[in-house]
Amino acid sequence: MPASMRSTSASSSAEAESPRTVPGKPWMWLAAPYFLLLLAFLAIPLANLGLISLYTRSASAIWSTDLTLQNYRQVFDGYYFYLILRTLRIGAVTTVCCVVLGYPLAYFLARCSQRALSIGLFLLVMPLMVSTVIRAFGWMVILGKKGVINTMSQALGFGPVINIMYTETAVVIGLIQIVLPLMVMPLMAALEKVPLYLEEASANLGARPLETFRKVLLPLSLPGLFSGILLCFTVSVSVVVTPALLGGRNARMIGNEIYDQVIASLNWPMASSLSMVLIALTFVIVAGGQRVGKRFRREPLR
Amino acid sequence: MKRFSPMLKAVIVLTFAAILAPIVVVIGVSFNPTSSFSVNFGGMSLRWYQAFFAGDTFAKALFRISLPIALASAICATLIGALAAIAIVRFRFAGKELLETAFMLPLFIPSILLGAALYLFFSRFNAGGTYASLIIGHTLLGIPYVIRVVSAGLFGIGTTVEEAAMSLGCNRVTAFRKVVLPLLRSSLLSGAIFAFMVSFSDINLALFVSGPNTTTMPLQIFSEIVWQGDPTVAAASTIQIVLVSSLVLLVQKAFRVRLAF
Repeated sequence: MPASMRSTSASSSAEAESPRTVPGKPWMWLAAPYFLLLLAFLAIPLANLGLISLYTRSASAIWSTDLTLQNYRQVFDGYYFYLILRTLRIGAVTTVCCVVLGYPLAYFLARCSQRALSIGLFLLVMPLMVSTVIRAFGWMVILGKKGVINTMSQALGFGPVINIMYTETAVVIGLIQIVLPLMVMPLMAALEKVPLYLEEASANLGARPLETFRKVLLPLSLPGLFSGILLCFTVSVSVVVTPALLGGRNARMIGNEIYDQVIASLNWPMASSLSMVLIALTFVIVAGGQRVGKRFRREPLR
Repeated sequence: MKRFSPMLKAVIVLTFAAILAPIVVVIGVSFNPTSSFSVNFGGMSLRWYQAFFAGDTFAKALFRISLPIALASAICATLIGALAAIAIVRFRFAGKELLETAFMLPLFIPSILLGAALYLFFSRFNAGGTYASLIIGHTLLGIPYVIRVVSAGLFGIGTTVEEAAMSLGCNRVTAFRKVVLPLLRSSLLSGAIFAFMVSFSDINLALFVSGPNTTTMPLQIFSEIVWQGDPTVAAASTIQIVLVSSLVLLVQKAFRVRLAF
């Protein structure tokens, strides 16, 4: 999951101490190969996507170059609009669940021994590097009608207990497993910086653990929380495989529609305008989130 | 160090169990003697691994497509990414901040959109579905990882050793090659390994950019699941899980790179 590095403790700690740089205009050409690669295979393809989103669909030749806004009009009515709403809903529910599940884990990793930390980080990063299709497959086996959970409960005499495959719930479960590490890592980085003595002082003054969390740890870890939320949300609204395998027809998301329009129905103008809408959504969320996040950023503790 | 309440410990154990559950289950299915997608506690069988290596599709997807593409993308991403990291960390020039933000772009653009954009772009030149198109896409996905790991390494080394070498008569390039580069080796290798894993496990980009002759292993796994395949899929998945776990362990133990990005 590439997104895992968008906000990193490595970079933030590196930025803190001002690095010694050398003025060196000629050396900037070292960055030229990457710059050209981005230009040729990211900027131009995205511009091309924007252009195709204005083309007219043609049954015989995939597109004709007559410019139109018809595709965007279609995005905002009926089926596609509902799909966008569902995508945003699934993303929001997933993110909220990750906040709730992520805090205890991040707190533990920020405060545990070095040994436990290295085991914990391995258990967090290894699944992140395993293909999402394999993890969705695992959930199919666990949640299915004849899956692990139902087989076990039947063996114990309870009968089948769940039937949530091909629902939004199944998709959310699959997505939580994918994006939870992306929530935990920035949270952990933020909580690590909160000195232990602040917690102890709060306890000494009579606060119960939950109160200490609410009044000390939560406010001081807000920057990490914001990056975590941004990561979780942007990744979970742009997935294809998880809803395809766990959601079936009932929980299709924008990603599935884009994929089908590109590969199966060959409606490239429509697929392009859906993609542009998803890009716009992502940027609005990231930019808006960063603006809100800045307001909560505080001076680092000494 | 701190003592944790039993409640918190229980929550941590359960959360880790849920994160690992799908992976453990897939490994279980791969040893299933019957052809259903289920974990069989009664018996064990290696027949799906035999099927993996005997059959054509999966072995080809692994050895002829996924591994070469991951290797090539890792090499490209490390070369291009390391050069960019050196420029960003060591030198000052106009427009650097803007460039730094632009360099993380492949992480901000969801990879399915990058996939769709590349597919439609390549199809203008009838150049889709080739090894090159996948390698280009995966190189883009891998470079930000390389930049992060290598920048962190460069920061850690600092400039003093380089300056010492230069005051002893090396020019900048020789000083870098003889002094910094050897110290940077583990960062470069870790970056390369991350780029390798990103390519090896990617499916979002492959969904769009792969062609009939370049079906990567994750994509092959996906289509077999959709078309009701047999537990060979689980064997293929397990092979990927084992490879990825060993690589993550290698980065953590041998190169001592802290895994939290």
